[in-house]
Amino acid sequence: MKWLSLLTNEWIKIFSRTRTWIFLAIPIVIIIGIAVYDKVTTDVEVNENWKQELTQTVKDDQKALDDAKKNGDNAIYIDSLESAIKQNKYAIANDISPYETTAWQFMKDMAFISSLIGLFVIVVASDIVSNEFAKGTIKMLLIRPYSRWKILLSKFVATLGFAFVMWLVVIVATWLVGGLAYGFGGMDQSYLITADDGQVKERLIVEYVFANIGVEFIELTTLVAMSFMISTLFMSNSVAIGVAMFTLFAGNIIVTLLANKDWVIYTLFANMDLSVLIDGQNQLVKDLTLPFSISVLAVYTAIMLAITFTVFQKRDVKA
Amino acid sequence: MIGGIGERMTTHTLELKNLTKKIKGKTIVDDLSFSVREGEIFGLLGPNGAGKTTTIRMIVGLISITDGDVLINGDNLRGNFEKAMERVGAIVENPQLYDYMTGYKNLMQYARIMPDVTKERIDEVIELVDLKYAIHDKVKTYSLGMRQRLGVAQALLHRPNVLILDEPTNGLDPQGIYDLRNYLRLLANNGTSVIVSSHMLAEMQMMCDRVAIIQHGKLVRIDEILNQEDETEVKVHFQIEGDVAQAKQVLLNLNEDLNVTESGQELIVQTADVRFIAELNKQLVLAGVLVVGIQRKTKTLEERFLEMTKKGGDLNEVAVPVNK
Ligand SMILES: Nc1ncnc2c1ncn2[C@@H]1O[C@H](COP(=O)(O)OP(=O)(O)OP(=O)(O)O)[C@@H](O)[C@H]1O
Ligand SMILES: [Mg+2]
Repeated sequence: MKWLSLLTNEWIKIFSRTRTWIFLAIPIVIIIGIAVYDKVTTDVEVNENWKQELTQTVKDDQKALDDAKKNGDNAIYIDSLESAIKQNKYAIANDISPYETTAWQFMKDMAFISSLIGLFVIVVASDIVSNEFAKGTIKMLLIRPYSRWKILLSKFVATLGFAFVMWLVVIVATWLVGGLAYGFGGMDQSYLITADDGQVKERLIVEYVFANIGVEFIELTTLVAMSFMISTLFMSNSVAIGVAMFTLFAGNIIVTLLANKDWVIYTLFANMDLSVLIDGQNQLVKDLTLPFSISVLAVYTAIMLAITFTVFQKRDVKA
Repeated sequence: MIGGIGERMTTHTLELKNLTKKIKGKTIVDDLSFSVREGEIFGLLGPNGAGKTTTIRMIVGLISITDGDVLINGDNLRGNFEKAMERVGAIVENPQLYDYMTGYKNLMQYARIMPDVTKERIDEVIELVDLKYAIHDKVKTYSLGMRQRLGVAQALLHRPNVLILDEPTNGLDPQGIYDLRNYLRLLANNGTSVIVSSHMLAEMQMMCDRVAIIQHGKLVRIDEILNQEDETEVKVHFQIEGDVAQAKQVLLNLNEDLNVTESGQELIVQTADVRFIAELNKQLVLAGVLVVGIQRKTKTLEERFLEMTKKGGDLNEVAVPVNK
């Protein structure tokens, strides 16, 4: 019958909650706050004399590197110092200021906001099924002439829609705030990366920003599917929120602990942070590539959705 | 409705065939079969835990059916859920609504997904359950009775021809109960089958055409309820302090044909007329008899119910105030 009306209903339910608007407002407030803070505190002198500044940094890093080598410190630490030194030298030689902020540079810097969005999406996704069980409203919904899978699908699509809309709103807001604060130019601006072979390379910031926007959609889809599954299995939003947040935030720690195991690349944790794979910087597990990780996430998402729909279809509703 | 002229046989809108529910090896609904006719109010009566709600949950597809079938308007719930549920309206236990939305927006949720619910229909239903004054308030501010009214409203929105109400009077005030009962009768007269569950005898007796008595998940029997005019079974108990025989004489002096019996400190008179009861009371008091209590007991169903379910105690006693 009118499946789209089911979707409309879910959409209305999401946006009838004050919480939803707060979730939308928080990232925007943070972004504006950071831009304002940065504008107020940034020392224009330093920006103009960035080459001297950077030369000093290189010297300091070199000293730290020597010490670290003498003390036989952690290899990762030594690597990171070496690559920082190389990058800074390259920057000085090729006249690429790391301090020049534009709308795009700002968007790249603000990419961490996506974790916050992940968090809010987990809350909404966990709630949209389990809250209706907790409040008993689910039974008013399931006695309608719609198969259960249609009702669950409407909830899934609505949450996904919410996640995407939220992400897009934040992207546009970041671009606007960044543009107003630092100017809208900088499409051709580069940043530096250290490739696998140790060479320093230039990459376009815009490329990173758009790749990041894209992979975040994929991550959000997996997060929604996971929250959905847990909240359907346990009918509890707190369990769902807990497990999903654990996967999102504690995932890195677990991956670090298991980094030397071959099978770690097949775990969900290891593949949840796609943005590090865009330019291969700060990558925890070296063997991962973007296409591989996306495939793994797709498989996990499909399995989680299959479990969710099967369980939901058969569940006795005693709410 | 385009009904075949001449073939005026009873149509059954809801049929339960050997319906069984087992949860963890425990049989909660046991081989339950009955059919509800078009245009009748059908009661499910049973003590707490009899399995009424469980039966209703199966009928509306909230829980799986262990065995047996449910046919709604001829469609088997197990095979064709969407078709079967199209003309069903229901409240299962307490109606739970979205607290964070207004009553109106709650109704809109259901209006949107049911066929042919116009804006006029929504207003009409709101009027009907007498909730116009609060319909634009958030549901979290509603009282229990107001929620119940909103629950009834959502169940009626799409003009179901099978209306299932689990304990619908729960939380309603006397006016609300009275209105509901009248409205259900009106719906039934227009061809809707109404299924109500309750453990309150008086309510069932006043509301229903037929009542299925259920105990331990089993159907004990189905009773036809006598018409309201035919209330010869209603008895009034006068509790007397002092000489009961003398009091009986007072009443007999008033009307020789009066059906009066003595029972301990009580005089039992068979009548349903409230004015007449008041008159009898007045005469007793005038004659100096001390009347300490008057109770109207609607018998038949109660007696049967208690007999069937083998429980003691008068479950249904309506006390009438005494004017001393
Ligand atoms: N999930 C369950 N697991 C085990 N037993 C259950 C479950 N749900 C219900 N029961 C049992 O089934 C029986 C019938 O419960 P049900 O809610 O259908 O009774 P009811 O007739 O509606 O009672 P009431 O008048 O109190 O509403 C009860 O004994 C109850 O303990
Ligand atoms: Mg019940």
